[in-house]
Amino acid sequence: MENGIQHVLLKARSLALAGLIATPMALAQETEPSAAHRIDSEVFDLGVTAGVVNIADFNGEWALGVSATFQASENFFLQYNFLQADSSPSAYENSQGLLFDGGDRTFRHYDLLVGYKLFQSEFFADEGRARLSSLYLVGGAGETRFGGEENFTTTLGVGYEVALTRDVLVRLDYRAYLYDSSLVADEEQSVTSNQLSAGVSYLF
Amino acid sequence: MRRWFFGVTLALIMVAPVVAVADEEGRASYLQLEVIDPYVDVRSGPGRGYPIFYVIEQGEKVDVLTRRPGWYEVRMANGRTGWSSASQISRTLQTTGEPADLPSVSYGDYLASHWRVGFNSGQFTAGELEDSDTFSFLVGYRPLSWMGLEAELGKVFGSEIKGELYSVNMLIEPFSDWKVSPLLIVGRGTMSIDSQPKLVPLEIGDEDFTQYGLGVNYYIGRNFVLRGEYRWSEVDTDNNSESLEVWKMGFSTFF
Repeated sequence: MENGIQHVLLKARSLALAGLIATPMALAQETEPSAAHRIDSEVFDLGVTAGVVNIADFNGEWALGVSATFQASENFFLQYNFLQADSSPSAYENSQGLLFDGGDRTFRHYDLLVGYKLFQSEFFADEGRARLSSLYLVGGAGETRFGGEENFTTTLGVGYEVALTRDVLVRLDYRAYLYDSSLVADEEQSVTSNQLSAGVSYLF
Repeated sequence: MRRWFFGVTLALIMVAPVVAVADEEGRASYLQLEVIDPYVDVRSGPGRGYPIFYVIEQGEKVDVLTRRPGWYEVRMANGRTGWSSASQISRTLQTTGEPADLPSVSYGDYLASHWRVGFNSGQFTAGELEDSDTFSFLVGYRPLSWMGLEAELGKVFGSEIKGELYSVNMLIEPFSDWKVSPLLIVGRGTMSIDSQPKLVPLEIGDEDFTQYGLGVNYYIGRNFVLRGEYRWSEVDTDNNSESLEVWKMGFSTFF
């Protein structure tokens, strides 16, 4: 019970923090006197992703996710990702019974990444219209929750991005999630879950 | 439920600035600038790979429509639009005759009055949390060029330890105009640490802590910074206090 109350308090604290952060941000934007304020900044994009995640020691599963990207400079960006997948019984579990069930069977992952656009170029899908594209590398840290475990995860990946229109970006991504797990072994061991996905983002 | 709260909070914080930016759309009058350089290149898109299709001459006036990192979209007197680099657009005059006052043009101290978001990751090197990994999400504001405030939401992962950290820090950076610049970190926060399995008794549970640290900022480009740091914290436990040490490496962007 005591734990429960502390968690509620923690929640309230972080909610207040989120509020504190968001409010002055909006105020600062409104009260800035300069004419430069009227320039529309296109630096944020929000998107959805769909793909396949190969959960280490389990199966490949369909995964859905969301991402938020902040373009820091022409070359660098910061990205938040969240994805979720339901796991079916592995071959081992089919013969030996489920190792865990319920909510623990949902694979969830989120991370904070930094990206570097390695090769930027124009992409011509049809004549006369150039679309900006780039091959990028990402790396960062996050958390993976699966089978009742919560694991610190290092994320590494490579992706390709094409601007379909001015506001709509399409991304193809490969990500490797590296973490320690003891789901199928007595000792903790380093495992890698891989993800291949396609995403569509809208640039604000 | 609590488990997802951290993730959702992160998502909300990432979205908050988007809402503010979106409000600005749809205003009719644009910032007008006069070109004082001999010429300014206009490209077909916001990237160095796009071809130059027009050159704005000295004395010509342009409207500034949109900003992307390193680039501005401008509308020329003939009604056509294109993209010019921020460094070229910075050498222009407003209609009042003053130099252009653009969000990403360095006049005076560009670090002051800016928001920043970022993350870091690292490992504890001493104390009860030794060898635990950690990562954090950061949101900061810089009221003065040499002083910033930062809120940090962090998570700790050890082989038998899980936890969350919340702190507010003051960053003192006396030489913020250097490309590689040292900084001092002083802060106060609260942590909630659980051991799993609960067989291992921990001194640290739900506690407040004070931390101080030394770091180095490396400014990569105009609004992107790499920060490495080492922190010492004193945790106020029930009986006495516990010392922790941690190193962190992270990226932030300011806008």
